[in-house]
Amino acid sequence: MNGNDLAVSAQGLVKRYGERRVVDGVDLAVPRGAIYGVLGPNGAGKTTTLRTLLGIIEPDEGRRAVFGHDAPRDVSDRIGYLPEERGLYPAMKAREAIAFMGALRGLDWKTGRARAEQMMEAAGLGHATEQKIRKLSKGMAQLVQLLGSVVHRPDLLVLDEPFSGLDPVNQEKLEALILAERDRGATILFSTHIMAHAERICDRLAIIAGGRRRFEGTVDDARATLPQQVRYTPAHAGTDLAALLPAGATTDGRAWRFEMPAGGIEPLLVTLIERGHGIAGLSIERPGLHDAFVRIVGESAAGDVTHAEPAGTFA
Amino acid sequence: MTLARTLRQALTIARRDFTATVFTPIFLLFLFAPLIMGSFGAIGGMGAASVADARADKARIVAIVPPPAMRAFKESDGRLRAVFRRDEEQPPALVTVAPDGRGLDQARSLFAAKDYEASAVLAGPLDAPHVLYGPRGKRAADYLGVLAGDALAAAKLGGSLPRVAVVKLPVARAGGGAGASGYRQSASFAVFGVFLLNLFLASQVVGTMAEERNNKVIEVLAAAVPLESVFLGKLLGMFGVAILFVGFWATIVAKLGSVLPPDVAGALALQTAVGLPTFGLLFFTYFTMAYLLLGSAFLVVGALASSPREIQMLSLPISIVQMAMLGLALGGTAHPEGAMGWAARLFPLSSPFAMAGRAATEAALWPHVAAIAWQLLWVSLFITFGARLFRRGVLQSGSAKPRWFGRKPAAEPLT
Repeated sequence: MNGNDLAVSAQGLVKRYGERRVVDGVDLAVPRGAIYGVLGPNGAGKTTTLRTLLGIIEPDEGRRAVFGHDAPRDVSDRIGYLPEERGLYPAMKAREAIAFMGALRGLDWKTGRARAEQMMEAAGLGHATEQKIRKLSKGMAQLVQLLGSVVHRPDLLVLDEPFSGLDPVNQEKLEALILAERDRGATILFSTHIMAHAERICDRLAIIAGGRRRFEGTVDDARATLPQQVRYTPAHAGTDLAALLPAGATTDGRAWRFEMPAGGIEPLLVTLIERGHGIAGLSIERPGLHDAFVRIVGESAAGDVTHAEPAGTFA
Repeated sequence: MTLARTLRQALTIARRDFTATVFTPIFLLFLFAPLIMGSFGAIGGMGAASVADARADKARIVAIVPPPAMRAFKESDGRLRAVFRRDEEQPPALVTVAPDGRGLDQARSLFAAKDYEASAVLAGPLDAPHVLYGPRGKRAADYLGVLAGDALAAAKLGGSLPRVAVVKLPVARAGGGAGASGYRQSASFAVFGVFLLNLFLASQVVGTMAEERNNKVIEVLAAAVPLESVFLGKLLGMFGVAILFVGFWATIVAKLGSVLPPDVAGALALQTAVGLPTFGLLFFTYFTMAYLLLGSAFLVVGALASSPREIQMLSLPISIVQMAMLGLALGGTAHPEGAMGWAARLFPLSSPFAMAGRAATEAALWPHVAAIAWQLLWVSLFITFGARLFRRGVLQSGSAKPRWFGRKPAAEPLT
C-alpha cells in the first residue's frame, strides 16, 4: 500500500515507562477511509499506542505519521479524538462543550454551536443542549463528548474504547455514528476489547497483546487463523463412530463437534454414510472473532509476560 | 505550526477560562473583595481611632508655673501648634497650674489627677525646669522644654516675644518636576502598585491546571493543541480576569479622583521623569509583564502539583517569592546604579517591578523597550519549559520539540 493511501502509519513504535516496554515495536498501517480496530486485552498497550499516534506522548523509538505528517499536531484540525477517560468541563453547557471542542480544532464558535444543536437533535439529545454537563447522565455526557470529537468533521476519528460505559441502545447509536462518519469519508481508528463491535464494523484490525502487534488483517483473516468447526449429528450412532471422526472430536449429547478435516468434509461424510451412521444433522460453523482473539492473545500470553499498561490517568 | 494557529488555540482556551471564571457568583465575591477588605479595614480603623481619640481627649501636658509666666506659655503653645498640620502630630493640650510649694511632689501628684491624664509635667524655675514624663511622654517633655525656653525669652524681653512678619514665596524647581525626592516617591508607588496588583491577581493562576486534571479534560486538550498553547491560553484567560478586575477598580478610583478637591488631587499627583501619560502606559505594561512572568511561573509549578492540597501548600512559598521580588525591586529603586539596581532590573521576576520604578525616575525610554523584550523572552521560556516539564512529568511523554513559529515539512510517507 502506498504511503499516501494511509491515514495513519507506524513503524517500530516503542514506548517505555521506566523499564517496562508498554508499546514494544508496534507497526500499523491504517488505510484512508477504513474502519480500523485495535484490539487487545486490558493492559495490552492500546491506549498508549493511540496516544503515541496522536502525539499526546512521544515514542521512545520508531516512527509514526498521520496523513504523512510525523508531528500529528500539525494536522490536529483534521483529527477527532475520544479518549478512554472521558473528560468535560462540568459547568459547561452541552452545546458549548461541543462547540469548544470544535473550536480547539479550528472550527469557529458560531458554526460549532449550530452543528452541536443539529447533532444533538439527531442523537436524541435535543432537550439537553442548554443543560450543564454535570446535570447529564454518564451515557449522555459520553455522547456529548463523542459529538464534540466529530463536530469539526474530521478526516480521522480516533476512539479509545468508545463502547465502554454505554448501554446497548447507545452502543447501537455509536455504531451508527461510526458508520456514518466512514460514509462521510472519514477514517476511523478505534480500540476495544469487545469483539462483537469490531466484528460488525471493522474493515481491518490489529490485535495487540503485551505491547506487541500479534495480528493484522481483515476480520475474515482473523477468523481464518482458526479452522472451521463441524457439528455433526448421526442418524444411527454406532460403536465405531468415534474412531471415524477426526482426533479431538467431542460429543454434545447426540451431536459431535470437531475441526474441519484438512481434506474437507466430503470424504468423511461418504465414509460415515457407507458405515451406516447416516446424517441427522450437519452444520459447518466459522469461528468468530472472539475465538480468534482468544487464541491469538492466548498464544502471545504463553510466549511472553504481558506488561501492564498505566491506568491511563494524567491526573 | 504557525504562530497564528498557536495563538488561535491559546485564545480558544483563554476564552473558555475567562467565561468559566467570570460568569460565576464567586467572581462577584472576588471582584468586590477589595471593598469587603476595605470595609473591614475601615471598621477596624474607626474602632482603633475612637480608642485613640478617647485617650487623646484626656491627655494633657502640664506646666507648673507662676501666674505671670502662664500667659507666655499659652502664647508660645498657640504659636507652635500651628506648625503641626495633622491632629495626630499635635502634642496634648496644655494645662497651667500654679505652684503650691511642694516642688516635684506636686508634679508627681498631677500624674494621679482624675480629670485628665498627664503625659508630662514641668516644674521648677524656667531656666532650669524639671520635666517628669510618663510612658510615651518623652516628646511631650521636649515640647514643654521648648515652651519653657520661649516663656523665659519672653520674660527677658518684657513679657512677650517679638512678632516676625514672614513672607512666603513658593518656588518651582527647574523642569517643573518635584525633583529627585518626588521621583523616588513615585518610583516606590509604582513598584508597590505593581506588586500589590500582582499579589492579589497573579497567584490566582497557580491552580488553574487542576481543573483540567481533575476533570480529565487535559487529554482532550493535549490531543488537540500543543501544551504551550494550553499554558498560554490559561495564562491569558486569567489575565483577562485580572484586567477586568483592574479596569473595574481603576474606573472607580478615577471617578473618586475627579470629585476630590483640586488641592488634594494636586497633592496626590505623581511626579515622574517620563511624564504622567507615558508613566501610566508603562505602569500598565509592567503590571502585564509582571503578571505574565509570575503567572507563568506559578502556572507551571501548580500544574506539576499532584493534588489540591499541594496547590494550597504552594501559596506560602508563592507569597514569599513575591515579597522577595518586592524587596529586591525597592532596593534596586533606592540604588539604581548599584549592583542591586542592576540585579533587580535583570532578574526576570523582579524586572517588571524595578523597571516600573525606573519609569518614574529616568526619562529615557529605550531601556523600557529592551526590558519588555527581555521579559517577554522569559515568559516564553517559562511557558516552553513548563510545557516540557508537564509533558514529561504528568503526561509521561518523551520530548516533543515545541515549534511555535515554523512549519515543519511533512515527513516522508511511511509505507
